[in-house]
Amino acid sequence: MEKQLTLPRLREEMSSGVLCAWLKEEGEAVEAGEPLYEIETDKVVNQIEASEAGVLKRQLCEEGDELAPGAPVALLETE
Amino acid sequence: MIAIENRSTDPFYNLAFEEYVFTTVLEQDVLLLWRNAPCIVVGSGQNICRETSVPMLRRRGIPALRRISGGGAVYHDLGNINYTFLTRQEGSTDYGRSLAPILAALRAAGVPAQRSRVCDLAIGEKKISGSAQRSAGGRLLHHGTLLFDADLTALETFSVRGKSDCVRTKGTRSAICEVTNIRPHLAEDISVEEFQRRLMDQLVPSAGDRIRLTEEQEEEVLRLRDEKYRGWMWTWGRTPAFTYERQGEFAGAPFSAAYRCRRGVLSDVSVTCPLLDSRAAKALFSGARLDPEGLARSCRDLAGERAEELFSLLL
Repeated sequence: MEKQLTLPRLREEMSSGVLCAWLKEEGEAVEAGEPLYEIETDKVVNQIEASEAGVLKRQLCEEGDELAPGAPVALLETE
Repeated sequence: MIAIENRSTDPFYNLAFEEYVFTTVLEQDVLLLWRNAPCIVVGSGQNICRETSVPMLRRRGIPALRRISGGGAVYHDLGNINYTFLTRQEGSTDYGRSLAPILAALRAAGVPAQRSRVCDLAIGEKKISGSAQRSAGGRLLHHGTLLFDADLTALETFSVRGKSDCVRTKGTRSAICEVTNIRPHLAEDISVEEFQRRLMDQLVPSAGDRIRLTEEQEEEVLRLRDEKYRGWMWTWGRTPAFTYERQGEFAGAPFSAAYRCRRGVLSDVSVTCPLLDSRAAKALFSGARLDPEGLARSCRDLAGERAEELFSLLL
């Protein structure tokens, strides 16, 4: 099943975040709890972990992109 | 809270030390107090080429490093004290909670500091400290600078005037703030070492809570220093994609250069100047890594004794 992952709201006042690093490449397998990407907001780099296992099918944004909470980030192919 | 002592002033070692402790000492709250020899440290998602002048740093022998937290570019030297709190991540980002202990320690040491903007500390309107964080694996790294007796002229030269407007890039921009040192605001004139001791006494009063890494742990720090912080990939390969355009003069002749850089590799290079071989330049720089040492060598091949002038037009 294909699942769209979106940018979480990391704090109440968060208006946007910059995707600073992909930690998994397209086609790579991801375990639940494994770090997937890093997002910077208010000088905090937050490592975002996968909530479930699967294969990272597509990265929907590039490093350096500024995203709003809820914006699509990736497609994950789950079992 | 325990303190892990680190007397090194090598910035590459010190960033590795901090990351090593962050990722391996997971059961306790930890304080680090440390100082770096002169260097520029940029945030995790920043473009070094925009935030400072790489040619100027090279001329002065000052390294640029990338840290694992967010935020902007900072200049460090031995007059600046860095503090790091490594704790469990409790809830969402709250700079107030992270800044409270350092603010209390500063006030106890006689510094009339207060919070300013999101995560700065200031005396009056002038900034004395900036901070940033990293949150991963349920742990929080909060660290900041404390300008005690830093060379503010160098700070201004490298982190403010050094900015490049030839670079078009995504990534985090640095804020520019008016700054001051702590030292002239103290009633008693003390050295940076003595001030650091006083902060340690406030934050971790018991000498029994101050420990050192074992030799095996130090070996791991050295490995991380060499593989990550001294390596090309982390510092330069992670540079956000950018385009560069520059018009100027080379040896008195009109000069223009343009290129793209993605994943730390140059492409679409054009160098136009009647005194330079444009085809040779394109061949040398296309596919080259964004690596100041390598690019400087190519500049020597192209421009001989005028290599430094060419280098300063390309970065």
